[in-house]
Amino acid sequence: MKAIAGIILAALTPGAWCVQAQDQGGSGDAGLSPERVEFFEKKIRPVLVERCYSCHSATSEKLKGGLRLDSREGLRKGGDTGPALILGDPDRSLLVRAILRGEDAEKMPPKDAERLRPDQIRDFRDWIRMGAPDPRGSGGPGPARPPAVHFEEARKRWPFTPVTEPKVPEVQEKAWLRNPIDSFILAKLEEKQLRPAPDAERRTLLRRVTLDLTGLPPTPEEMDAFLADTSPQAYSRVVDRLLASTAYGERWGRHWLDVVRYSDTAGDNSDFPIPQNYKYRNYVITAFNEDKPYDRFIREQIAGDLLPFKDLQEKHSNLVATGYIANARRFGSVVKDYPWHLTIEDTIDNMGRTFLGLTASCTRCHDHKFDPLTNEDYYALYGIFESTRYPWPGIELEQYQRDFVPFATPEEIEKGDKERADRKTALEASQKALEAQKKMAEIGAGGGSDDEAARAKQAAQDLAKQIDAIKGEIARIPKTPFPYETLYAVAEAKKTGNSKVQIKGDPTRLGREVPRRFFEIFGGQALSSEAKGSGRYQLAEWLSDPQNPLTARVMVNRIWSYHFGKGIVQTPSDFGRQGRPPTHPELLDWLARRFVECGWSVKELHRLILASHAYRLSCQDDPAALAVDPGNDLFWKFGRRRLEAEAIRDSLLLVSGTLDRRMGEGHPIPPMTGWEYTEHKPFLAVYDHQLRSVYLLTQRISRHPFLGIFDSADTNAGTPARITSTTSLQALSLLNDPFFHAQAAAFAARLRREAKTSETRVDRAYLLALGRPPSDEERTQALDYLGTWNSRLGEGEAWESFARVLFRLSEFIYVR
Amino acid sequence: MSDDQSCTRRQVIRSLVGGSVLLPAFLSRLLAEDAARDPLAPRPPQFPGHAKRVIFLFLTGGVSHMDTFDHKPRLFSDDGKTMVAGGGLSQDKKQLLRPMWEFRPGGRCGTLVSDLFPHLRERMDDIALINSMKSDNNEHFEATLAMHTGSFTFARPSIGSWVSYGLGTLNQNLPSFMVIAPKLPFTGTQVFSNDFLPAYHQGTRVIPGPEPIPHLAPRSRGEGLQEAELGLAEAFDRNFLKDNGNDSELAARIRSFETAYRMQTEAPDAFDLRKESDETLKLYGLERSKPQGFAWQCLMARRLVERGVRFVELIDTGAYDNWDAHGDMKTCIPLAKNVDQPMAALLQDLKRRGMLDDTLVVWTTEFGRTPGQDGPTGRGHHSAVFSSWLAGGGTKGGIVYGKSDELASQVAEKQVHIHDFHATILHLLGFDHTKLTYRHAGRDFRLTDVYGTVVKDLLT
Repeated sequence: MKAIAGIILAALTPGAWCVQAQDQGGSGDAGLSPERVEFFEKKIRPVLVERCYSCHSATSEKLKGGLRLDSREGLRKGGDTGPALILGDPDRSLLVRAILRGEDAEKMPPKDAERLRPDQIRDFRDWIRMGAPDPRGSGGPGPARPPAVHFEEARKRWPFTPVTEPKVPEVQEKAWLRNPIDSFILAKLEEKQLRPAPDAERRTLLRRVTLDLTGLPPTPEEMDAFLADTSPQAYSRVVDRLLASTAYGERWGRHWLDVVRYSDTAGDNSDFPIPQNYKYRNYVITAFNEDKPYDRFIREQIAGDLLPFKDLQEKHSNLVATGYIANARRFGSVVKDYPWHLTIEDTIDNMGRTFLGLTASCTRCHDHKFDPLTNEDYYALYGIFESTRYPWPGIELEQYQRDFVPFATPEEIEKGDKERADRKTALEASQKALEAQKKMAEIGAGGGSDDEAARAKQAAQDLAKQIDAIKGEIARIPKTPFPYETLYAVAEAKKTGNSKVQIKGDPTRLGREVPRRFFEIFGGQALSSEAKGSGRYQLAEWLSDPQNPLTARVMVNRIWSYHFGKGIVQTPSDFGRQGRPPTHPELLDWLARRFVECGWSVKELHRLILASHAYRLSCQDDPAALAVDPGNDLFWKFGRRRLEAEAIRDSLLLVSGTLDRRMGEGHPIPPMTGWEYTEHKPFLAVYDHQLRSVYLLTQRISRHPFLGIFDSADTNAGTPARITSTTSLQALSLLNDPFFHAQAAAFAARLRREAKTSETRVDRAYLLALGRPPSDEERTQALDYLGTWNSRLGEGEAWESFARVLFRLSEFIYVR
Repeated sequence: MSDDQSCTRRQVIRSLVGGSVLLPAFLSRLLAEDAARDPLAPRPPQFPGHAKRVIFLFLTGGVSHMDTFDHKPRLFSDDGKTMVAGGGLSQDKKQLLRPMWEFRPGGRCGTLVSDLFPHLRERMDDIALINSMKSDNNEHFEATLAMHTGSFTFARPSIGSWVSYGLGTLNQNLPSFMVIAPKLPFTGTQVFSNDFLPAYHQGTRVIPGPEPIPHLAPRSRGEGLQEAELGLAEAFDRNFLKDNGNDSELAARIRSFETAYRMQTEAPDAFDLRKESDETLKLYGLERSKPQGFAWQCLMARRLVERGVRFVELIDTGAYDNWDAHGDMKTCIPLAKNVDQPMAALLQDLKRRGMLDDTLVVWTTEFGRTPGQDGPTGRGHHSAVFSSWLAGGGTKGGIVYGKSDELASQVAEKQVHIHDFHATILHLLGFDHTKLTYRHAGRDFRLTDVYGTVVKDLLT
């Protein structure tokens, strides 16, 4: 032991120099004295072989952490977390931190039972202090990091192949075809020897397409007009009319808000409200109504702040669009050490699912287990969002907004900032003055007559109160609303640059830096070396590139899935291997092509899909088809489905005549000045109105009491498709909810107002609520019912009761 | 299917007008054919479990372990000494704070319990106490979320939803998962959210008061009116059902009205204490004239599980005025008084009715509290170690599992992480926690994520 101590002492002072020489020279190995080699061979190598090689050597079955310990180079080069050694400095060497099993490195060996003995740890420290003499060679070829992702192979596989231009298939039953979509559908059906269901009746079709495009049932007048129009263009005229109505954007904008998990609150522990976020909601609604090209829609949401604009209105709209990124979830309640990595993860996760149908959040910690996405891909994108300034909606420990994007002239901003600064200066000056007075008073309190001292003491106390009041006012300055418009939008961060890999997703353990770029599987387009800024501008280009194999496919599939209740890919936000493969891959590609061809026009795509024969089939079952394809994956009939929560509420309002058709604005959220939301007393609100449901406040911490019962969207993760549950709580709500009763009462009053006799009222009720007249049997039953209850409770009560009956019918809340 | 009913539709309507509701046998037949697709039909677990149902007692704010179940003599002797704390403490150096309550042995097992819980102390022979619980976060929000869903950050299905999903329910006239909570705890409704599981499995919140379940009270005026409305709607709906191939979803919807209709009477009946004896009320410490407080919640829990509700959670208080005693531990006195006797009574009541054997009672909280002072006589949040317990349902009574160190600061022996706790609960119900999964967003999710080990020593 003495000899070793001697070596260490000898090595200590010149060690650093020695090590440097070794490191640079490499071959000379001046430090490899026989004593040192012996130390390595006796104390170090056996431990490495016995405890480390199974995972960190050429013979490892699977190399862990990219680290090899069976060669001199391997140790020095290190693994994912960087070099294992800092020669001469054991305390800073990762290897030592790992075997010490502290908090700041991965514990090695991983199992507690295999931990190294204290004397072994001491040996490693001594060895590193000597400069880690190591007589071993390069260690030879061995397993490099196991490639988890084989890009070449992956690129050959759907969905990463380029969008093809498939040939429209030949079919036998040509007379059935209305447009090429039908050829793709019918070809599959003929293959299975199935026949499509008969056509839907015209009333059913109008109700279907009206609810589908607007989320509202057709009025009796619209129904009459459609039935009276016998021209071949009657249906396409209806489609055009519906697409031109503002109700269209309110319906389809809501679909988009589902996917991007829109919320009027931030999702932190106090669920801070974001009074400005409704502007993004309205931007989405308007974008659909104006048929904004989808590629443009993507670019604005990712990088609207970086796009050119022709006027202030466009600039405003572009800025608001980036609310898409701003709307990422917030977490916890702290300001210092705020977990930005989680907010950015939420951004990347949603971006991947929404635009590409890929689940990228898995790659925060490791390469994707199923899809060709890597851990590096994640941090390449992470750098872009880390270079982006997110607005701060407020949080328990800092209950006010900051970093919102001002929409004002520089002069207005300057004026506003100056007002704040001046106010602060003025208040601080008065505070100072009062403090000086207080000091005087305190001196006074210590002397003079008892009377004078008491007066001075009183004065000091009064002054202290005033000082506290001023301090309070100063503290409240950041809570005063800005005198100009502020937007919940993003901006370029002050500091932009690449990010480092967070080892296993732990933001405190940084690995190597990754240049900002797009997913490797799509070509890994990178920022040019001269590129300034976050890289969002480029990201927006990459995402909206018509060459990207997924952008158009994913959107086309979403639109198809809302029309048919089922996608061609039945997992609209997961096109990866964990999702479902397409039932009609050629059709999907054909549609994607047409979508790009027509300038990414969503409305054109609607027209195309709605014009198909497939969309106009009835829901009628066919035992033969059911036996072969019970899930209707081949679209041999139209799939009946329940209305979404919003459409149920909106239908109730419309039919009862109480719907307010104006566009919604902001919510009556209390002004920021009074915000004291905490984990203990979070923001929780329900603001009811008669506007369409898309305009109701949505929160992350809770759901709207009526919509939540009917499976409204999840605001914590994107909702690619609504689920339909059938619960007794829904039934209870339709039995006893005061909102429901109020709508039924309004409906009854409307019927009594609009028709004179019981017969005509019953007919009108059916036309309004169900889009058809009653059958003779239904009419008789209804009149019977009304007669009985009229005599018992009076006319008003009887009609209200009947209105409730109609509103509870499956036919009212299902579309077929 | 069309005309095999015993009466014509016309007759149905006639009888409806007379006020009787006919909920026809044909529906039951239809549904019976489809039992496999009924998401709430009772289902056997993966292997026979001891417990058939769960009562989950959750105390909000973080109950101090060293003031209740984890007796540490050194905290009494070293009061005021400075300690250098390990991980999990809110600050590095703190003065140790002496517990304000004496500890005394309870039951035949003699487990030491403080004077905060004198009634519960007498039930220790029924309780498997865990003094080595461990969570990962010192924030209310995250800790509450994790104890309910296994996730510290993201919204996930609640443990009650998982149990409902796994076992279905025994009474179709009541929800399978009910949460009696006078106030919402941290994270709001996320503690009983079904999240991505189908909505049948969401917790139904019961608020002590005149309308414990929303929209439970019939609003239609006129005797027999609601029945008549349901009857007419059903007659109309049957046409629609017939036109739509007797689809099970539509049939289930018709049935949901039947269930809701019966819930209007069944649920108030469950909430009606008139049939409970004075002796039972006294046991719980409940006054007939004041149906409120944790005593009411505990008695309701028994009445609901008796009626077949699968998972009942009781939350004692909300996001403030709770066990979060930063400034003064004495604020725990009224909170303990609210829960102590009722919890003891619940165990005793279940036992004497022979229900404790197959009813698992879980007692837990967000985290423990620091051995050092936070405010003058209070304690901070402490997730590094705390106490929880299980009773009945196949657990060993009268044992203490695991140990904290001598300052109750860290786990000293046999750590039970919240994932282990969840794994053990699912095991008692007959589930391998790694196999109770649900496919969502491209992967199989489970309550315990990728963690959790069943604590076998707690099982009989």
